[in-house]
Amino acid sequence: MAFTGDFMCTSFKQELMTATHDFTTSTGDSFKLALYTNSASFTAATTAYTATNEVTGTNYTATGAALTNVTPTTSGTTALTDFADLTFSNVTLTARGAIIYNDTKADRAVVVLDFTEDKTATAGDFVITFPTADASNAIIRIA
Amino acid sequence: MLGNESVCKVSPVLVSTTNYRGRSAEEVANSCADKIVSISETAPDAVREQAKFFKSQIIMALTYYIKEAIRSDRTTLYNQLKAAGHSDAAELIRRF
Repeated sequence: MAFTGDFMCTSFKQELMTATHDFTTSTGDSFKLALYTNSASFTAATTAYTATNEVTGTNYTATGAALTNVTPTTSGTTALTDFADLTFSNVTLTARGAIIYNDTKADRAVVVLDFTEDKTATAGDFVITFPTADASNAIIRIA
Repeated sequence: MLGNESVCKVSPVLVSTTNYRGRSAEEVANSCADKIVSISETAPDAVREQAKFFKSQIIMALTYYIKEAIRSDRTTLYNQLKAAGHSDAAELIRRF
């Protein structure tokens, strides 16, 4: 039982083809990021948010925090989307990974994120920095 | 050779944490600059050097104005606390 890498959920790929998700800024769906301990075992087969093995800690709220969408764009032949960096402020917690899920659409899972090691904040900030939003690095892209 | 293969990809995120403090103006400025300026690993050396210099200038400007914003917010906090009758707390904020 552990995180084993970053995954784009298979169910999410299918849902792209049914126009389930809308990443548009402001008018799109609401996406959230939830943090988990290393007891979680998410893979590409993960389909939805779960409270099982979600972290608990000071100033962390179950279900995680809302993300700020960045309207999808293209670069060359690659389509990509991004989120604004996310800070869990003044928290005390340890997390090994996270999932991003669609809070508007029945908590459907989007991606699984593996931090590769336990990350701990003690009465401090826990900051998720998303990669550069380009064709080679964006958090979610279709090449 | 032209291909027609399409692939869905996800990239790793960077996680940073602090203990018993928030992030400094410099740390926030660096994160912000990373969003504004990205330097291609395949760019010519001269272009990379120019981009690095530009990024350093961006970080300096961001750091300055973030600190200004912090100072300004503390002024607001000071006045709100004082107006709410918490003069001692207001004075602590002012001294930071």
